[in-house]
Amino acid sequence: MNGFINSLTLVNLVACFIGAMVGTVVGVLPGLGPTVTMALMLPFTLKYGPATGLIMMTGVWYGAMYGGSTTSILVNIPGEAASVVTCIDGYQMSKKGRAGAALALVAIGSFIAGTLGIMGLQFFAPLLGNAALSFGPSEYLAFMILAFVLLSNLSGEFPLKGALMISLGLFVSAIGINPMDSYPRFTIGWDELMMGIDFLPIAMGFFGVSEIMNIAVEKYVPPEVKKVHLRNLFPTREEGRRSVFPILRGSILGFFVGLLPGPCTVISTFVSYSLEKRISKTPQEFGKGAVEGVVAPEAANNSAVMGAMIPLLTLGIPFAAPSAVMLAGLRMHNIEPGPTLFSTRPDIFWTFIAAMYIGNLMLLILNLPLVGLFGRIALIRPPVIIPVISLICLFGIYSVRNSIFDVWVMIISGVIGYFLRKWKFPIAPFIIGIVLGPTTENSVRQTLMLFKGNPFLIVGRPVAMTLLALAIAFIGYKLLSPFWGKKISLKGEEQG
Amino acid sequence: MGKLKKWSLETVFDFILTGLGIVIIITSLTYGLGTLRRPGPGLYPFFIGLSIAIFGMVLFISELKPRTRPPLFNRGDIKTLLFMIVAFCLWILMIPVLGYVIVTLLVTYVFCKIMMLEGLWKPISISAGTALFIYLLFDYWLYIDLPKGILG
Repeated sequence: MNGFINSLTLVNLVACFIGAMVGTVVGVLPGLGPTVTMALMLPFTLKYGPATGLIMMTGVWYGAMYGGSTTSILVNIPGEAASVVTCIDGYQMSKKGRAGAALALVAIGSFIAGTLGIMGLQFFAPLLGNAALSFGPSEYLAFMILAFVLLSNLSGEFPLKGALMISLGLFVSAIGINPMDSYPRFTIGWDELMMGIDFLPIAMGFFGVSEIMNIAVEKYVPPEVKKVHLRNLFPTREEGRRSVFPILRGSILGFFVGLLPGPCTVISTFVSYSLEKRISKTPQEFGKGAVEGVVAPEAANNSAVMGAMIPLLTLGIPFAAPSAVMLAGLRMHNIEPGPTLFSTRPDIFWTFIAAMYIGNLMLLILNLPLVGLFGRIALIRPPVIIPVISLICLFGIYSVRNSIFDVWVMIISGVIGYFLRKWKFPIAPFIIGIVLGPTTENSVRQTLMLFKGNPFLIVGRPVAMTLLALAIAFIGYKLLSPFWGKKISLKGEEQG
Repeated sequence: MGKLKKWSLETVFDFILTGLGIVIIITSLTYGLGTLRRPGPGLYPFFIGLSIAIFGMVLFISELKPRTRPPLFNRGDIKTLLFMIVAFCLWILMIPVLGYVIVTLLVTYVFCKIMMLEGLWKPISISAGTALFIYLLFDYWLYIDLPKGILG
C-alpha cells in the first residue's frame, strides 16, 4: 500500500506519464529504441531520485512496446524490433479496414498482459530474492555462464558471433583499475581509461548512433497511413471472443520468456506467434489478418518486459540491454539491486510495482484516443528526425558525466556498431558483457579462492552444479542438433 | 597481397579481432596470471583474450570461404556516412569554444543538409527549435552545466 502512496506523488505520476508517452513515441518512430531513450532519461534519475527514475525508464520500455504496434498495424513498418511479427497480420487487418479494432485489441491485450506480468513480478521477485540470499560466488558464476551460453545462442542468427560479442564486452569491462587488487589494466597510459569505460556511451553509440547512421544511409519510402476514427476502434464480438485466450497465453508465455537472457521481448513475439498458429483451428488465416496473430505477440512482448525485471531485481543481473541501463541508473544512486534489495530498499521495489500498475492504466487510457496522433508522428521524415535525435544523443550522453571523452566513445562505438549491424553481429550480448564483466570477474576470483584453486569442488554446490549442467547440456544440444536433422530457429532482430 | 585484396571488410575485421585476442593474451601474461589458488590480475583477461582469439579465428577461417557477398554500401552511402561522422566530430571540437547554443544551431543545420533537407527556412527552423529544446531540457530543467563558450 505504501508503494501506491509513494507512486501517487505528483512527481512520480508525471514521471510515469512522461515515460509512457515518450516510450510510445519512441516505439512509433524509427531511430531511438527503448535502450537509448532510457539512457537519455538517466539525468532525470539524478535530479528526482532512483524510484522516480526507475518509474520513468520502465514507462519508456513498456510504452515502446505499445507504440511499436501502432506503426506495424497502420503502415506495415515496425517502430520497434519487438513489433516485427505484428506487421504480418496487423497490416492485413488494416487492409481489410479493421485497423481500429486491431489497435484497440492490442491496447487492451497489452494492458492485460502488462497487469498479469506485474502480478507475476510482484509474486515471484520476493520469493526468488529470498532464495538468492543463499547464493555464493560459485552460484553467481554458474548462473552467469548459463546466461552467456543462452545469450549467445538466442541473440541473432550466429551463436559464435554472439559468443565473440560477449567476450569483447567482458574485455571492455576489464579495462581500467581492477578494484580487487588496484592494478591498472589495458589503460595504454590514458588517464581517462583508469576508471574504465562507462557502458552508457557505448550503449548509446551501438544502439543510437549506429541506428541513426543506418536510417540516414537507407532509402526512405514514405509510408501511407490509414486514418483511424474513434468509432472504428470497437472490435466485433467475434474478434473479442477470438482474442481472449491468445492474450492470456501470450501473457503467460511472454512472462517466462522474459526470464531468458537476450532480446526477450523480440523472442517472445516469435514464439507466441508460432504457438498460436500451431494450435489454431484455422492456421490458414495466419498471414491474412488473423486477430490471434496480432494480439498474442503484443501481449507477449509486454509481459516479457515484466519478466525481464526479475533477474535484474532479484539477482542484480540484467539479461537485456534496457534492464542493463536500469542497473546503471540504480548504481548512480549507490543502489545495488539483488537479493537484499527487498530488505534494504523495499520502498523502491514497491513504489516501482505500484507505478507500473498506474503506468499501464495510463497507457491504455491515452493510447486509444491518441492513435491518430501517433500515426501522424510515424509520417515524420528522416531528414527532420535525424538531426534532432543526433543532437539529443550528443547532449544526452554529455550530460550524464559532463564528459567529452564519453561523447568520443559514443561516436566511435556508433561507427563500429554500424558495421557490426551490417555483418549481423548481435549488439545486446556485447552490452550485457560489459555490464556483467566486473561481477563475473569477482565471482571467478572468489570462487577459485573459496575452492582453494580446485574448480572441481563445484560438484559440492548443487545449485551451481545444476546451472552448469544446464549450460553444458544446451551447448551439447546445439552442437548435436544438426546431426539430428533439427535446428532451433529462434531468430531475433536486435533489441534497442 | 593478391589474396589480401580478395578479403572482404568483414574478413579483415575478424582477422583484427584474432590479433586483438592475441594482444590481450600477451598483455595479460605481463600482468601476472598468479595461481588458481591466488589468481593474479592477468588471469581473467587471459581467458577472455583466449576466447576472443579462438572465436575470431574460427570466424576468420569461415569467412575465407569464397562466396558472393552483397555490397555493403555504395559511394553515396559512404559520403553520407562520412559527413555524419564529420558533423558529430564538429560538435565535439566546437562546443568548448562556441558554446552549446551556437553549436546546436550550426550542427543541426549541417545534419539537415546532410539529410538533403531542401530550402533555407526549414533547416533554420529545425535548428532553432532543437536549440530551444536543448536549452529548456538540459539547461533550464535539469541544470546540466553545458559549455557556454563565447556566450558565457
